[in-house]
Amino acid sequence: MPKEKSQGETHKNLLLEKHYKDLKRKHIIRLSLMYLLPLIILIVYFQFQYSNMLNDSKTMHLQSIAENQANLLDLFLKERVVNLINLIDNPNFDIPPDNSTLQDYLELLKTDSKAFTDIDFFNFRGMEIAYAGPIKRKTYNDYSNEIWFIDLKKSDQRYIITDVYLGFRQEPHFTIAVKRYVGDSVVVLRATLGPKNIYKYMTSIEGLSDVYVSLVNVKGDYQLVSNKLGRLLDKSPILPPREKKIGTGEKYIKNSEVKYAYSWLNEVDWVVIVRDSWHDNTGFFFGMDVNILIVSFLIVGILVLIIFARAKKMALMEREKEIVRSQLEHASKLASVGELAAGIAHEINNPLAIITSEIGLIKDKMNPEFGFNGKSCDGIEDHLENMREAAYRCRDITRKLLSFVRVDDVLMKEYNINEILDDLIDGFFEREFAVSNIEIVKDYDPKMPMIITDSNQLRQVILNLVNNAQDAITPPGRITIATRTENHFIKIDISDTGKGIKEDEISKLFLPFFTTKETGKGTGLGLSVSYSIMKNFGGGIDVESIPGKGSTFTVSLPINK
Amino acid sequence: MSESIKLLIVDDEVKFLDSIAQRLEMRGFDVTKAINGNEAIDATKQKQYDIALLDLKMPGMDGKEVLEILKKDHKYIEVIILTGHGSLESAVECTKLGAFGYLPKPYELDKLLETLKDAYETRMMKKFEQDSERIEKLMKIATGSSPLAILREMRELDDDEK
Repeated sequence: MPKEKSQGETHKNLLLEKHYKDLKRKHIIRLSLMYLLPLIILIVYFQFQYSNMLNDSKTMHLQSIAENQANLLDLFLKERVVNLINLIDNPNFDIPPDNSTLQDYLELLKTDSKAFTDIDFFNFRGMEIAYAGPIKRKTYNDYSNEIWFIDLKKSDQRYIITDVYLGFRQEPHFTIAVKRYVGDSVVVLRATLGPKNIYKYMTSIEGLSDVYVSLVNVKGDYQLVSNKLGRLLDKSPILPPREKKIGTGEKYIKNSEVKYAYSWLNEVDWVVIVRDSWHDNTGFFFGMDVNILIVSFLIVGILVLIIFARAKKMALMEREKEIVRSQLEHASKLASVGELAAGIAHEINNPLAIITSEIGLIKDKMNPEFGFNGKSCDGIEDHLENMREAAYRCRDITRKLLSFVRVDDVLMKEYNINEILDDLIDGFFEREFAVSNIEIVKDYDPKMPMIITDSNQLRQVILNLVNNAQDAITPPGRITIATRTENHFIKIDISDTGKGIKEDEISKLFLPFFTTKETGKGTGLGLSVSYSIMKNFGGGIDVESIPGKGSTFTVSLPINK
Repeated sequence: MSESIKLLIVDDEVKFLDSIAQRLEMRGFDVTKAINGNEAIDATKQKQYDIALLDLKMPGMDGKEVLEILKKDHKYIEVIILTGHGSLESAVECTKLGAFGYLPKPYELDKLLETLKDAYETRMMKKFEQDSERIEKLMKIATGSSPLAILREMRELDDDEK
């Protein structure tokens, strides 16, 4: 027997261990969902907002750079135009000038800006009359068919600025040409500019601000561009719309999305394009700082640790709760038996009294004072037989008690409910009710189906209810036990003709430690434990009562075959 | 004792009843057996008993009920409770109801005999007192008024004593 028990216990322990591992996992999942998930959602959301914000500010930044640069260039160009116009409008200006005069004028212009490299003078027919500059020129050309010349002559404005070209020393140059009306005809002064400083200034911005700056004409040709981006006069991949003077945009260049801002110049049809450097990541992880990452991971890590710890603790608590619950159940079982013990004690005392009395009687009969003839005790067989019967009665009673109190594992077997009830009533209560003048009526449904249940626990519940019924009755009275089926449930009704239960007490009936008995007479555990046993079976206990008339407790068990 | 003590034993457990009855008879008690309350009360109507040994838990009439009735109808009977269902509360209750003694089952014969003796002595004392009272009353009546009054008063006395 002990060996079986330990095997059974190990198996039971294994099951319990698995059960608590499952419980722990469930808690982890639940806690993660409750705490981690919202946190992660928040982190993601804020990261998203943050990167949006950064993107926006970056865009604005690009835009302000573009505007600045455009303004700068406009200003520069305006100044140069003014330089030229002042020159050509000067009353002392020779018309037409010769080369040496032009050279003087060039020197003059150079004091305004070092950007000026050379100048030409043209007559109304577009013929180059004079030149001053670093190039040694032999011939003078006819520019009458040049677009810039034609456009300048037609234009309302007095000046025109051409696009950049690779000029002297393969450096970028552009020209500004101004006209002056002399009588009916027009003369043109054209200056070539190679604005190294401006270019240097513009490209230095790139290093400072992590951006690329380029200058592009209306056809999309680079007027100014850094080596990393492209070559002069190549086509820029980005060409902003002419209609909008200032704006921003995005373009896919070599598999990455490039943000840019642009600003068209006023003086000439060029646009300043400012864009992100290649190595910026945009998008979701924009602005993801390593520090933030570390802190986030730390927080999440701590939370995960906490969750694991908590889950373990909760599983442990549940396990302890389960242990306490089963202890409570056992205590209640003992209490039930204790309640019965008073009646049982009487039962045992009676056969004991018989035994001791018969012993005394035999001794009396063998006492010479009472007429013992020295030979044999008269009727000793009967006395001995009485004693034996009485002893067996004691044995049966203690056996019944012990069978009930034994701590059994839950053993689910198939039973007939009527038989369990009979066994219980006839075994425990028969004599009890006989002497206390309480009638027991059995009203079984003969066609009760078999069910699978644990007979020990079920007996504990019925015992408890019948005990209560008995306590409620002041004799004479009647306890009726009926069995029936209803809706896939087996129902056992235990009705009594006792004092009933008041309405306000019914709701508290199944609460632990609730009792209507005097102090010391009831533990208040019976009904609450019975209730939890039936709940575990998938059934329940219901009660109906009329104060003064009686109560009926109905135990329901699901038919689980 | 010149006269046997008239003892009524009430217990529903037949084997026990026989056993204890035999032992007490052997010791000179005049024993009558009753297996429930009703039989007990009927028996007291037939004969005057000195002492009753009463079990508490019986089918039909409960031992306490029997105790009450006995003390009410027969003031001079002493009742000793003999029960396997003993408790302090029960003892106090029964004493309040007039029980002379309260003994447990199984019983110790010596203790039982002692209690019976004391109960009998008390019974005798009461009987003596009662007889003295009666003599006093008779004497009063005798020295009273008319013969008719005497007769009437004597009848009243009898009725009182019932």
